[in-house]
Amino acid sequence: MSTADIDSAHPLELNQPRFSVKKPEPRYDKQGDMPDAQRVETAMRYFVKDFGAVAATYMESCIHCGMCAEACHFYIATENPKYTPIWKLEPFKQAYKREAGPFAAIYRALNLKKKVTVEQLEEWQELLYDSCTLCGRCTLICPMGIDIAALVGLARHGMNQAGLVPHELWAVAERAEREGSPLGATPKVFKERCEWLADDNEVEIFVDKAQADVVAAMSSIEIMKYPGSIVATSKILNHLGLNWTFRSDGYEATNFGMLSGNSAWQREASMKLINATIAAGAKLLILPECGHAYGAMRWQGANIYGKPLPFRVLHISEFLAENTKSGALKTKPLSKTMTFHDPCQVSRRGGAIEAPREVIDGLGAELIEMQDTKGLNWCCGGGGGVVTIHRADHIRYQAFQIKMKQIDNTGAEMLVSSCSNCRQTFDDGQDHFHWDKTMLSLLDLVADNLEDK
Amino acid sequence: MDLLQFARGPALTWALAIFAFGMTWRLAGILLLKRRPDYSEPRNATSWPGALKLIISRSWPRREFIQRTAFGQALGYIFHIGLAIVVFGFAPHILFFRGLTGLDWPNLPNAIIYLSGAITLGALIVVLGRRLIHPVLRLLSNFDDYFSWFVTFAPVATGMLAVAHLGARYETLLAIHILSVALLLVWFPFGKLMHAALVFVSRGSTGALFERKGASI
Amino acid sequence: MNEPDILGASLARSGISRRSFLKFCTAMASLMALPPSAAYAMADALKRAQRQSVIWLSFQECTGCVESLTRSFDPTLEQLIFEMISLDYQETLQAASGEAAESARKQAMKASYGKYLLIVDGSIPTKDGGVYSTVAGVSNHDLLVEAAKGAAAIVAVGTCSSFGGIPHANPNPTGAVSVSDIIKDKPIMNVPGCPPIPSVIAGVLAYFITYGKLPELDNLNRPKVFFADTIHDRCYRRPFYDQGKFAKTFDDEGARNGWCLYELGCKGPTTYNACATIKWNGGVSFPIESGHGCLGCSEPNFWDKGSFYKPLPVPLADNTPIITAAALGGIAVGTAAAVISRKHQTSISEEK
Repeated sequence: MSTADIDSAHPLELNQPRFSVKKPEPRYDKQGDMPDAQRVETAMRYFVKDFGAVAATYMESCIHCGMCAEACHFYIATENPKYTPIWKLEPFKQAYKREAGPFAAIYRALNLKKKVTVEQLEEWQELLYDSCTLCGRCTLICPMGIDIAALVGLARHGMNQAGLVPHELWAVAERAEREGSPLGATPKVFKERCEWLADDNEVEIFVDKAQADVVAAMSSIEIMKYPGSIVATSKILNHLGLNWTFRSDGYEATNFGMLSGNSAWQREASMKLINATIAAGAKLLILPECGHAYGAMRWQGANIYGKPLPFRVLHISEFLAENTKSGALKTKPLSKTMTFHDPCQVSRRGGAIEAPREVIDGLGAELIEMQDTKGLNWCCGGGGGVVTIHRADHIRYQAFQIKMKQIDNTGAEMLVSSCSNCRQTFDDGQDHFHWDKTMLSLLDLVADNLEDK
Repeated sequence: MDLLQFARGPALTWALAIFAFGMTWRLAGILLLKRRPDYSEPRNATSWPGALKLIISRSWPRREFIQRTAFGQALGYIFHIGLAIVVFGFAPHILFFRGLTGLDWPNLPNAIIYLSGAITLGALIVVLGRRLIHPVLRLLSNFDDYFSWFVTFAPVATGMLAVAHLGARYETLLAIHILSVALLLVWFPFGKLMHAALVFVSRGSTGALFERKGASI
Repeated sequence: MNEPDILGASLARSGISRRSFLKFCTAMASLMALPPSAAYAMADALKRAQRQSVIWLSFQECTGCVESLTRSFDPTLEQLIFEMISLDYQETLQAASGEAAESARKQAMKASYGKYLLIVDGSIPTKDGGVYSTVAGVSNHDLLVEAAKGAAAIVAVGTCSSFGGIPHANPNPTGAVSVSDIIKDKPIMNVPGCPPIPSVIAGVLAYFITYGKLPELDNLNRPKVFFADTIHDRCYRRPFYDQGKFAKTFDDEGARNGWCLYELGCKGPTTYNACATIKWNGGVSFPIESGHGCLGCSEPNFWDKGSFYKPLPVPLADNTPIITAAALGGIAVGTAAAVISRKHQTSISEEK
């Protein structure tokens, strides 16, 4: 399928509250025109390709206790058993047992585990993509300690190779690969934006400095929808007096290759950012307010690079926390109550749990924690690429109600997070439910309250 | 050769051999798969405390989940503890282990064993009922789940019948009990009962990986 | 033997009082759990009965069973048994020998054809044409088959004739078998034990004479009245088992306290016999009471069920070598499986 087809058949709505493909019918999406048998064959091969000892341990350990369902917002919101996290891995498990497990030879010889069918894969497309945000809450409930979210991520590799990705997600990933950004934030667009943002906001925005100590990255959601983040980042870095820059050869921190399950695209996106940071001779790469960007670079970046990265990688909230603690970052006191929504990939799965709280503490705001918070926080429902998938809207809204209730219960005046993907999910939810809460960016909040020098 | 002799002799020998063979086969087949080095800069330099922490802490439900999982977890606790008491506390069972390993430990009074056995049987029946009724469990369940349940239930049931002398002559009941244990041993490495060993590997792996990242465990 | 040889006359001749005869009958009736009135019925029947012709054949045996019976503590018991019956042939006890003995047997078989009771102790060798035990040149096998033809019933006394016993033990060089392995068309009662309890022998004989048939038998053709319960069920040390109190060695505190001998290999739980209730030596004691576990001597193959000191739950064989070998084999196969999977994965990675 040529890319022109996608653009005409499923034009991306860049100016809507969310970026997605226009009103797709309920359907199973297929990319390319390989025959079904080949799809199955490919899926089977790529299901097992990346199986290591740890993933195999997980596959072998499941006792079918069903507890993971009780941690999943999609199951709890719908009570539909097919949303049980481990069930989402059924064909993947089947492939593993048949092709890679210790008894694979027996399973194959006696055909005890059948090959997956294309119908199965079509059915599981919804389960592996639409109804999993990779939030990893189920990982924390599993009595065997199985990291189910990581397995869903692996399973997507097979689906991607077989051309069985929900179309919107595939389209944004493909566009990111082709244009350098999933949402049209090409280097040219990015540079132009930086220019007019600098003018409009009277802030110095450095782009493509040859040498800098700090390289900052952005998520395309911010570039296109929340450009205030570019300004806020610049203000803060300038406030701290750092030698920093954006790089037009490596600014996009989102990684839709990873979310859609395309390892090659994932690698390419990550390498751009790594190479740009190295080219600038920077000692620090600051990742933007984006959840999966953190997982992709902070924890997978070095492994894609093949050796330890020659620079530090920090999420913006970690960077702010460091400078709040050191006293370098001075803010005006903000006497408000606020609650903080932990982005799954940064907090629960990324480990930067305390950093945003230290920043909030530095702001002088009173933090009212939600009932289930930090690592046990409820996902907004839009992670893992789900927010791009139109046909997932109904379950995403159902799941979002859990989140709304959780936030309403705090009674806090402000709602803050540090993930632009969460933020756009919240915006969409707010719009859908006519909710009175608006999600704010922690970065913006800090930038807006910087002490005047 | 009578049934009891068969059970105590060739049946157990074969069952133990298959058990040992299957256990090491499966463990080696899993653990020797590829392991990629992790080059990311660790948040915590030593990760084994995380493994230990998760192995221990995951045995207890979190406050955030307990409301939804209390019943299932209580059931699980009851039959696991009941099984542990019966398997490791009953004098004849200790003799069995002593015969295999040379290890010895004090036994519990039979009254406690019988009570635990009865409670375990009851809990196991509820476990099966729940698996058949609960929509999630019914969807997830396959042959392994039901057969593993059966090979767990059978030794407890036959053991209880043997001590109560119900249904057949004692030596026949004892032989059936030992044969049911043989069946359990044969199935153990190939089905989900293997979780008894893998739970430590699985929890430990996640615990270590997550500790490295400082992620929630 | 021209006048009818009835028991009453014989008792009178031997000077056994009515009182002690009734006492015997009561004892037998109660042993066999018959109703109290049965004692009188038995006494009446026994008195009027013609003395039962008995032919006792001894094959591969140690004479322990006969010793057990003849040396029973209670002198009247032995006497009474031999008063009840007309023991027409018993190699150990009869005065006759050689040709005379054999012709006495043949004569008795002819005279009481179809009515005599055949008692057998010892197992029957079948290997090499049965040469391992012969009487007057005739193999035990042929002797048994011949004698069984005219027997009303056969009583196998002792574990050897009941189940093969010690001669049958691995490797069984003589091909020893039990009576019931050879004779299929006669009622056979097994009274196993090594040796059996004397009163049990007496009891079942009295029953046969009284009622003209064998008592009710269990699945191994043992009289249910004596073999219904295990030693363990009736053991006076059973409460210690239930409390989980066990002697760990033969000289520890537990052993001195008389705790359960299960861990010392007692086979009481799988042994059906009346030792724990009737006891031995006139009701004085039985092995467990003397501080030694039951050997299970009244059970088939008791000699081949592992050491007498190996507790019941312990596997019979030493499984360590095979477990070790199996574990190593598993590692090899598992490693091979992992290597194949890795190669498979590598080939997928390289195909692009």
